[in-house]
Amino acid sequence: MENSQPAPLALDPDHFNVDFTAESDLEALPPEEPGLAPKEWMQKNLFSSVGSTILTIIFSIFALWALRGLFGFMFSGERRWDAVATNARLIAVERYPLDQFNRIWFSLGSLLAMAGLSMAFFRASGYFTLKRIAMWLMNLGVLGLLGVILTPGAKTEVPPVVEGELPTFIQDSFGEAIGGRIVWILVSLVTLGIGLALWYGLGEDRRRTMRIASRWVIAAGFGLAVLSLWVVPYGRYFLENGVATSEPGLVAASTRIPWTIMWATFVGALLLGLALRDRIPARPPKMILGLLWLLAPFILNWIVLRDPDFDYDHVFSTDIPMALAFMLVGGALLYWLSNAGIGEKGKIVSIILLAFALFNWVAGFFGIYPMLQKARLSFLFLGLFALIAGNFSRDVRTRMNYVYAWMGSMAIFHWLVTAVNSPSTLDITSDTYLGGMTLTIFVAWLTLLVSFPLGVLFALARTSDMPIFRLLSTTYIEAVRGVPLITILFFFSVIIPLFLPEGMELAEVAAVVVGYGLFSAAYLAENVRGGLQSIRRGQFEAADALGLTSGQRTSFIVLPQALRVSIPPLVGQSIATFKETSLLAIIGLNDLLRVANNTIPSQTDFVGSKKEGLLVVSAIYFGVSFAMSKYSQRLEKRLGLGTR
Amino acid sequence: MTMTETPSSRIEVSAKPPFYRDVTIVKWLVQLAVLAAVIFVAWFLANEAGDNIRARGLTSGFEFLSQPAGFQVSDGIDDNPATGGRALWVGMVTTLRLAIAGILSATVLGIIVGLGRLSNNWVVNKVATVFVETLRNIPLLVQIFLYFTILSGLSRVALDTGPINGWLHVSNKGVAIPRIKIADGFYQWLVLMVIGAFIARFVFKNRVAEQERTGNDSFALPIAAAVLAAIGVIAWFIHPIIGFLEAPLWAISDVLDGIPQIAVQLGLVALFFLAAARFVKNFRDSRRTPAGMAALTDDDWFRQIFAFVAAAMASVFVLIIWPGLSDWIVNSSSDLFGVLADKFGTNPETGADRSGAPFAGERPDIVQRGNFPNYGDSGLQMSQAWAAIFFAVTFYTAAFIAEIIRGGILAVAKGQSEAAAALGLSRMQALRKVILPQAFRIVLPPIGNQYLNLTKNTSLAVAVGLADVVQVGGTINSQSGKALSVFVIWMAFYLACSLTISVIVNFFNVRMKIVER
Amino acid sequence: MSTIGAAGVELGRPDMIVSDGVDKWYGDFQALKGVSATIAEREVVVVLGPSGSGKSTWIRCINRLEVHQGGSISVDGIELTNDTRNIDKIRSEVGMVFQQFNLFPHLTVMDNITLAPRWVRKQPKADAENRAMELLERVGIPEQAAKFPGQLSGGQQQRVAIARSLAMEPRVMLFDEPTSALDPEMISEVLDVMKDLARGGMTMMVVTHEMGFAREVADRIVFMESGEIVEVGTPEHFFTNPTEDRTKLFLSQIL
Repeated sequence: MENSQPAPLALDPDHFNVDFTAESDLEALPPEEPGLAPKEWMQKNLFSSVGSTILTIIFSIFALWALRGLFGFMFSGERRWDAVATNARLIAVERYPLDQFNRIWFSLGSLLAMAGLSMAFFRASGYFTLKRIAMWLMNLGVLGLLGVILTPGAKTEVPPVVEGELPTFIQDSFGEAIGGRIVWILVSLVTLGIGLALWYGLGEDRRRTMRIASRWVIAAGFGLAVLSLWVVPYGRYFLENGVATSEPGLVAASTRIPWTIMWATFVGALLLGLALRDRIPARPPKMILGLLWLLAPFILNWIVLRDPDFDYDHVFSTDIPMALAFMLVGGALLYWLSNAGIGEKGKIVSIILLAFALFNWVAGFFGIYPMLQKARLSFLFLGLFALIAGNFSRDVRTRMNYVYAWMGSMAIFHWLVTAVNSPSTLDITSDTYLGGMTLTIFVAWLTLLVSFPLGVLFALARTSDMPIFRLLSTTYIEAVRGVPLITILFFFSVIIPLFLPEGMELAEVAAVVVGYGLFSAAYLAENVRGGLQSIRRGQFEAADALGLTSGQRTSFIVLPQALRVSIPPLVGQSIATFKETSLLAIIGLNDLLRVANNTIPSQTDFVGSKKEGLLVVSAIYFGVSFAMSKYSQRLEKRLGLGTR
Repeated sequence: MTMTETPSSRIEVSAKPPFYRDVTIVKWLVQLAVLAAVIFVAWFLANEAGDNIRARGLTSGFEFLSQPAGFQVSDGIDDNPATGGRALWVGMVTTLRLAIAGILSATVLGIIVGLGRLSNNWVVNKVATVFVETLRNIPLLVQIFLYFTILSGLSRVALDTGPINGWLHVSNKGVAIPRIKIADGFYQWLVLMVIGAFIARFVFKNRVAEQERTGNDSFALPIAAAVLAAIGVIAWFIHPIIGFLEAPLWAISDVLDGIPQIAVQLGLVALFFLAAARFVKNFRDSRRTPAGMAALTDDDWFRQIFAFVAAAMASVFVLIIWPGLSDWIVNSSSDLFGVLADKFGTNPETGADRSGAPFAGERPDIVQRGNFPNYGDSGLQMSQAWAAIFFAVTFYTAAFIAEIIRGGILAVAKGQSEAAAALGLSRMQALRKVILPQAFRIVLPPIGNQYLNLTKNTSLAVAVGLADVVQVGGTINSQSGKALSVFVIWMAFYLACSLTISVIVNFFNVRMKIVER
Repeated sequence: MSTIGAAGVELGRPDMIVSDGVDKWYGDFQALKGVSATIAEREVVVVLGPSGSGKSTWIRCINRLEVHQGGSISVDGIELTNDTRNIDKIRSEVGMVFQQFNLFPHLTVMDNITLAPRWVRKQPKADAENRAMELLERVGIPEQAAKFPGQLSGGQQQRVAIARSLAMEPRVMLFDEPTSALDPEMISEVLDVMKDLARGGMTMMVVTHEMGFAREVADRIVFMESGEIVEVGTPEHFFTNPTEDRTKLFLSQIL
């Protein structure tokens, strides 16, 4: 129901509302209490009673002490932030080969382009009122000033530089390193000033009603960060003959051009999407984008980043003919099955197909007759496609669309499986081309993709009226939720090889993703179950009375409503999954956390500098989780309004 | 009731439809097919695993429980466990200690922060908000590493060994404080205290009845407490008289040991079929109506048949697939009574003097361990790893509990605080008498969930090398390769913890509901 | 045990719904005690009775929303058994309108109406939509096609629900207290649509408390109490000269 009502403000000509308005938010602005004078505000919020005054004093002292500790920690001469700066690439992509870096940029660019287009087409953008922005700026300014005042003084003793030993770069307080604290005071004052100017310059009404869509805030923030690569003298760190060396001056000459292109890609996609979205029908681009988000992790991971070395003889002699055979013969079969007059004959054929597909697995396991795994999977898909053929027995166009869908999915499936089975051209050991941030992101993403359908399936089984399904699903969910994730990951990385038939191998990352997926499916199932239980009995009855089959009832009536209700908990679960990827570090995969906790401190140049890396990793995790949870809160509000 | 001849008797007389079109049969066929597939896959995987295990020269089974452990365990109740089973037990105790300590501290901190989030005081509110938003959005494991690293940076333990004069000692080896320790006589004393509790309860009921009869205040609770305390003091001195329990416990253990395997198996089979029969009986009772038995649908018949099929499958499991299970049940219950018997009387083998005091106080000390000074066994020490994981789970869970408490209070506060204000209650009174009791009911289930999460999260101790049940299990696995057995033990242990916590939380939940009425 | 006679004989039309000795238990409570009735094609039958008398249960059994445990029900010559084919046939021949409308809140009015014709009857989208617009015009709200149910009034929602059922071109329509959840000022708009339908020759079974509607539209009135049919008759007979004491008591309470 999201676009059914225009935003109330957009219609009101009295309000200043350039194109920055976010269309998706329906919240009417509540009347606000008139602003209090500072003195009254303090009386009300800080010193309303003796108890409150004491609390204010205690907590202020505590907060200032904590801030001083944090600043002191961050800007202490002992901190080796250069450990992080030097290893920025390690944190991001671990040891992905430098000469293949265009693949990383291409992947990142595709993701940013998809993100930009999605923001436009799905109208998934909130807004920031200028009031909030002003408040932020003022807070930042005050925080900066506090930092300048609170940070402990510079270390006066500079350890002598010994010939042949590693020089320490940032031995001074942060102030001396950048030309004295005066710079920071100025920056803070300017920020504070802009905030104050916005606040008082606009006046009560306008600062509440003028607002900027968050996509532009994101684009601007991203832009500023990229711009700083060109302007700010970060200093540049690199390793030379095993010794870390610093060079003042412009930073990261190797990344500023790519990053600028990345920014341009994002903004370009955003603008393109905004320009197109009202001129073309809404559904196709949304569907294409959804499909891309589903396929992207597979394509980017196994084809772009891994760069499979296709064996073209084999491809032309076996893979392509096989794919074509499945596409054409399967397509013809499906076209015949979706014939309106086929009746029960169709059902029998599809069940035979399914049975045959399952038999292939059994036969394969017992070694009766060998067959490529790909063919077995294709037969299974064919059986499943055949089962739903009856739904498309309408006009020729519907039937052809159904056949095209089959052909498309077969083509992509065979392409991907062939790619996965081909060795990688990268000259690093087969499995570890992912690392750092890339590993974290891909594992989280694949886990969500694996666990979502499974979770929905388990939820449906647990709420079904079939006792055996209920029993199996409940047992599974409760057993998995009863044990810690780490034991399941151990289990999968250690035991899975024992369970596999002779000759079949599973990369460790894949085993871990399966473990993660099965684990988080149990939690997802509980979230979806909540949604399923919120659907009223009458919806089921109405669907039954109309003669929908139980499959149609589930997919058209029950699930759309249940999933809508469970979106906020599902986002919460996604955040949890993202945070839980940190456990990869324990089982020895080089994810973001392990790079910071193990790899960097073990370098001879940065022995023991763990805290810096861990703080940066904390900041990364915090940023992503916090943004997602804020988005989820907004979504919850919006859905609450939408459903009534 | 007669059917009149109608001109339109077009009714197709209802022959039974073919089975593939009969709703009930199709429904059950699909379910049985899926069940069969699941069983087949499980059987197949187990078979495959068995082959692979044999091919790699590994053995499955639980022999390691009674074989020498061959490794040391840090931070547990026993540094040098004799057997693998003992080592796992040490790990379990460490997990439980962490979980209980974490639950207590996270609850206290969570309530404080949650109330802070609701405070009108701007500073308090902001500090609480920053606490919650920061800590719950940083993964627990990152926090554990961070705290561990920060603790490593603390100053070293001074070289002078001996008892520490003071109550608190912090260093890069962790934190040490004095403690009260369970001593040799504790279990004998505990038995007397249980008897004492029954006596105190009897006294309490007696006094309450007295009060109801006369109307005078009979001081039921203080008197009962005094009785219990008096019994505790007396028991402190006379508890050795309980030592006679040793002999009967050993006797029970021996009797259990003598039960043949087949008897247990047959007993289990009988139990399964009794359960199935009971299910069918209850089921038929529920279908019985005053007008006689309601017509049973095909579906109902399938259910009854399936109950027996399930019983038969379970019987096959204990008789054929895993006959060792019955043996294991007998042996472990026999062992359990043996362990219990060991806690009483005098045992020359362990050399424990069960006639001593039930408790003893200790202060931490510093001893030379290898080349470095470290805390000794005396007193309560939190090692660096222990402290890191303890603070991490406490802060992390407290952040979630704070949000639950805030949500619960807000949910109640909307209408109720106005009603309370209308009755003339002050803000504090309204909070204590009206809002908190109701909020407690709302927040209890999700907080119970957080307790479960905390317990499971302590398993991350493995990341900083603390020997909890997961770490010990991992060590055993890498030594003996018995991953499957270890996983089964993990699963059983954590499921037992989860069940215990849910039972406790449910107990309070039910209590609250009764109070409400 | 009670029976309505073979209506088809009297009216000279074939029977549409035959309910023969239908029993239904909920646990040990018997909700229907051998309910027998025959309803002819193009007949409008109104079922009256106090709440808990089993009238809703009965018409829900006819659509197999509840499964009857004794006796037999057949619609248009098809018996309701466990046979999936018969269940599907009967469901697509019988339309049902609920007290709580039960529109699908996540679909537009148009999608609500075209869903079943497209996926059950396999009609092409354009045809289904044309037909839906005709039906919306018939129930008087063609302009609401693009809206969501939550944006309509109760009366409008119920009219959409009627159109949704009609889109399947049923031979029988069942109404389960269609006006009970409506505000008084909206009742008549729904009743008008139902009267229109009755005049068009639809076979209808209506459970309702609207006595005016029963008197004006019904061919016959069935009075039920505690799971049994107490009395059957024309509206005239029923309202002016009921024979059973229980009917008289009910009428005195309600009129």
